[in-house]
Amino acid sequence: MRNGGRARLLLVILIVTSLFLITLDLRGVKVIDGFRQGTQTIMTPFQRAGNVVLTPVKNFFSDVTHLGRTRKQIEKLEAENANLKQKLINRKNADAQLKQLKNILDLAGSAGYKIVNSKVISHGSSQSFSQTLTIDSGSNAGITKNMTVLSQSGIAGVVKDVYPNSSLIQLATDPGFRIGARIAGTQQIGILSGRGTGSASLQLLDNSTTVKVGDVLLSRGSIANRPFVPGVPLGVVTSVDNSAGAVAQTAIIRYYTNFSALGVVAVVIGRSASDPGDSLVPVKPRVTPIPTVTIFVTPSPSPTK
Amino acid sequence: MYTRRFSIAVPIFLSMYVLQEAIISQFRLPGGGFSLLLIFALTWAVMSEPEVAAVIGFAAGFLMDLSQSAAGPFGQWTLIMLLAGYAISYIGYGDDNVHANAIGIVFFVVVANLLIEIAYVVTSALLGVSSGSFVQIVITLVGMSVWALLVSPIMLPVFTRLHATVFDSRSVI
Repeated sequence: MRNGGRARLLLVILIVTSLFLITLDLRGVKVIDGFRQGTQTIMTPFQRAGNVVLTPVKNFFSDVTHLGRTRKQIEKLEAENANLKQKLINRKNADAQLKQLKNILDLAGSAGYKIVNSKVISHGSSQSFSQTLTIDSGSNAGITKNMTVLSQSGIAGVVKDVYPNSSLIQLATDPGFRIGARIAGTQQIGILSGRGTGSASLQLLDNSTTVKVGDVLLSRGSIANRPFVPGVPLGVVTSVDNSAGAVAQTAIIRYYTNFSALGVVAVVIGRSASDPGDSLVPVKPRVTPIPTVTIFVTPSPSPTK
Repeated sequence: MYTRRFSIAVPIFLSMYVLQEAIISQFRLPGGGFSLLLIFALTWAVMSEPEVAAVIGFAAGFLMDLSQSAAGPFGQWTLIMLLAGYAISYIGYGDDNVHANAIGIVFFVVVANLLIEIAYVVTSALLGVSSGSFVQIVITLVGMSVWALLVSPIMLPVFTRLHATVFDSRSVI
């Protein structure tokens, strides 16, 4: 009986403590934020070490899952130079990140964004149904909360939390992610929402406007560029819902960014005074015409023997 | 006795947390992956008395709340894990078919893992935290259950040995 009473008392104390923590967090008490910040500060070196140690393992599994692509790449390298092949395989990860970085710099340079480049050191667990990643730059590099994060192709997410040497990024695929979007070429606006996958849903705000498959979406930008700077490529419309009863059109968008291959990202910490407008709309691949070979045959006057 | 248990259990819990955050989180596993800390805590909870299981759940939930990827308010995981730890132990404790049987433990862990994630989705909805589309949630729940089914039998010998190290009556000897 006594033991049962103690157990019940313990259970009640623990439940009350949990509810107390939830209440404190929902009321925005700083101590709770401090817990998470402190833990993340401690965890950052472990995550960096884990990233360094596990990169070859991840590359191996990536090679296995993308066997066809890797084989083609290896064949191409073999054809180019046998000596370079080994070096390229060893440095494949570094080269891929360099390529991403170059594209990011091109994108940021075109729009006049001031950026901080960062390496992805950890992907958040999906146990909480959120889609996040951690980068190796934080408040020491000038990053603050609610800054736009770019990939080589467009939007990657937004800075959710900042620690001295790392930052937590909410990916654009996160179900809680929302961004104001406009259709390139027109000024039609809508709200883009993450869906937990590589696609997003667009809800137009005006029922008199229309959207069609193939339309390109750009970010609208926020007041004082926080959290979003204008003109960032978001994605392309893949399907449109024209339900008769809907207040305004909705559409499914495929993001430009490949979220499963993010190695390097850039955080926009400032931008030029001018709006980039539609200048960052990705150029559609140009189809090279195949030359037609015409053969003229003149029949001989007498049949050959 | 409590000091000894506490001093051994705390580093074990912290090690599981670091393993989860620094190693397992590096892999973007299909179907949402798995939480080593969650499976570990549930395994220990099955094998412990209800009040001990509640404390185990509380500690694991607190660490899960500290995780950078926790989307809900601080304390949500703590509350869910505390109640889950107590419940799983209350149902299974004293029944040798459960806590002395590897299949029983794995079954309890996998089912509890699924129910906990469902509880998390429901409480998130109540607290206004978005968890994604219905299809995506179902895929993640199924994926996590499959991962739990794969991982828990592999890790079971390690977790039970650690449990025996902490909770065995070595102080009597």
